[in-house]
Amino acid sequence: MASEDFAVEVDGVVKRFGSLHALAGVSLRIRQGEVYGLLGPNGAGKTTLIRSLVGLVKPEEGSVTVLNRRMPNLDVLAHVGYMTQQAALYPDLTVEENLRFFAAINGVHGGIREALEVVGLWDRRGSIVSSLSGGMRTRCSLACALVHKPELLLLDEPTVGVDPLLRMQLWDRFQKMAREGTTILVSSHVMDEAERCDRLGLIRFGRLLAEGTVAQLQARAGVNRLEDAFLKLSEASAA
Amino acid sequence: MSRRRILAITRRLLQQFRHDRRTLALLFGAPLIILALLGYILRGGGDVPAMGVVNLDEGPLGALVASTLESSRTVAASRMSRQEADAKLHAGDLAGYVLLPADFTNRAQQQHAVVLGVELEGTEPALSGTIMQAVGQAFTALASQAGGVRFATQVSYLHGGANFDTLDYFGAAFIGLVVFFLVFVVTTVAFLRERSQGTLERLMASPLRRPEIVLGYMLGFTVLALVQAIEVLAFSLLLLHVHNSGNVGLIFLLEALMAIVAVNLGIFLSMFARTEFQAVQFIPLVIVPQMLLSGIIFPVTTEPGPLQVLSRLLPLTYAVTGMRDIMIKGADLSWSSLQLDLAVVLGFAILVIIAGATTLRRRIA
Ligand SMILES: Nc1ncnc2c1ncn2[C@@H]1O[C@H](COP(=O)(O)OP(=O)(O)OP(=O)(O)O)[C@@H](O)[C@H]1O
Ligand SMILES: [Mg+2]
Repeated sequence: MASEDFAVEVDGVVKRFGSLHALAGVSLRIRQGEVYGLLGPNGAGKTTLIRSLVGLVKPEEGSVTVLNRRMPNLDVLAHVGYMTQQAALYPDLTVEENLRFFAAINGVHGGIREALEVVGLWDRRGSIVSSLSGGMRTRCSLACALVHKPELLLLDEPTVGVDPLLRMQLWDRFQKMAREGTTILVSSHVMDEAERCDRLGLIRFGRLLAEGTVAQLQARAGVNRLEDAFLKLSEASAA
Repeated sequence: MSRRRILAITRRLLQQFRHDRRTLALLFGAPLIILALLGYILRGGGDVPAMGVVNLDEGPLGALVASTLESSRTVAASRMSRQEADAKLHAGDLAGYVLLPADFTNRAQQQHAVVLGVELEGTEPALSGTIMQAVGQAFTALASQAGGVRFATQVSYLHGGANFDTLDYFGAAFIGLVVFFLVFVVTTVAFLRERSQGTLERLMASPLRRPEIVLGYMLGFTVLALVQAIEVLAFSLLLLHVHNSGNVGLIFLLEALMAIVAVNLGIFLSMFARTEFQAVQFIPLVIVPQMLLSGIIFPVTTEPGPLQVLSRLLPLTYAVTGMRDIMIKGADLSWSSLQLDLAVVLGFAILVIIAGATTLRRRIA
């Protein structure tokens, strides 16, 4: 089966909120073990697209297939890790209690130490989440998405507010996980992060404007910097 | 102090209300609804307590008292035989009856004190009081006609007793209520927080089934509610000495059922609130009308007809009746009235569990 290789298949997905087209016919495929970057300005539809992958958004048209299972499908979600854009945690529990909970609802027991070490929060495992700094909360939220070792990781702007050093470490980690077979979809505005993705999708007004590796996109736009490529491709499609 | 800064806060507050029409509607609508309801209950011309008059008197005075009572507006009195009166009292159709003895006229004319038997059902102090009052008034009327009749009443109670007080009556209902209302509010707010802090989104993006979420919540809060129920019960029975002639296990069973209803009603209704602020609004909308209509304060039988229908639709009415039947009348599971109460509360619990689970699903799509 040819579809075996794709962790995510999105086919002509349309989602409206009232008269607004949050997704206006998006199709994309993400290969297994790939780091796919979703780039786009505020309100482009990145979060809506990610939410449609986990069945939180029900498309009016089109289909979504995740790990070879047509969505919505609850069982497949045990193999998906979703990090929401806003750190979604229980503020009155400790870091470790939060992780334990998210591990348990995904049907696993261990992995807490490992997940916390990835984000550098093992030392703070006993802290109440509401007492953490903003960046630490983001990291804790990321750890909660990793804790059950998912095959597919959906990260909605995972490094916002994270300091440069840790951000670099996290990206090393993402790439290592991808090499080990985890598929990662990550949304971002940050161009230097985008350069570390295997492939990029540029999204705007709910449409996928362009897709490809960094080099491909730069070549298509005829510029050397990804940022310029992004701007140029956005303008080209708007015109 | 800067006037501008103060006014900035004031303006912002009013603007917020403009965007939250619901709170505004509640602010101005709820007091009217609650007061209208209260007015209707108290002045809507509901039923007055039913009482029996057993006239054994061989002379004319007994008939005089009986007809005075029958024309009374505060009670619905009717003449009947003693057997009939006893039967109706046991069935709960009479709040009480007065027994006019055979030698009534005789003794009254000889200026002896007349001893009246008053049999009261006793569950509801308010009704008992009304009957005693009506009897007293009938004798005042008699005294003004026949001159100087002295009388004494010998009161006996089917349930409770002379030292059965208002706390005994309200206590039974409130034991159930306290648990119900607190659990309801706590669940609603907790579930809303799950929504506002974004963790519900995470739960929905996990393999968790909606019924699993609802059941998990239910278990967690039910454990809390049961501990609370034990505490409330122990305090009421051991320290306040609230009258109880029933089985403590049964009281607890009913409380547990109410707690389950409260938890699931909380989950269900939290779907209709966006903020914790809006959740608190369910207190005047859901809780106050139930307080007024479930017979906790005003006996359902004395409400105006249409409100009685409404009362019979509220689960709390059955819970309160059940609680009083157990604690005051010593009802056990062989009583058909208690079976009905438990069945209705149980049925309602199942209904809200289903409602909670289905709304959860619909909200997410
Ligand atoms: N629940 C909703 N109800 C109404 N409109 C919504 C809802 N969710 C998203 N939208 C709208 O859909 C559009 C896309 O939103 P989305 O959150 O997907 O953007 P985004 O690309 O994630 O933006 P950002 O970079 O700011 O996170 C926006 O215009 C937004 O207002
Ligand atoms: Mg977003």
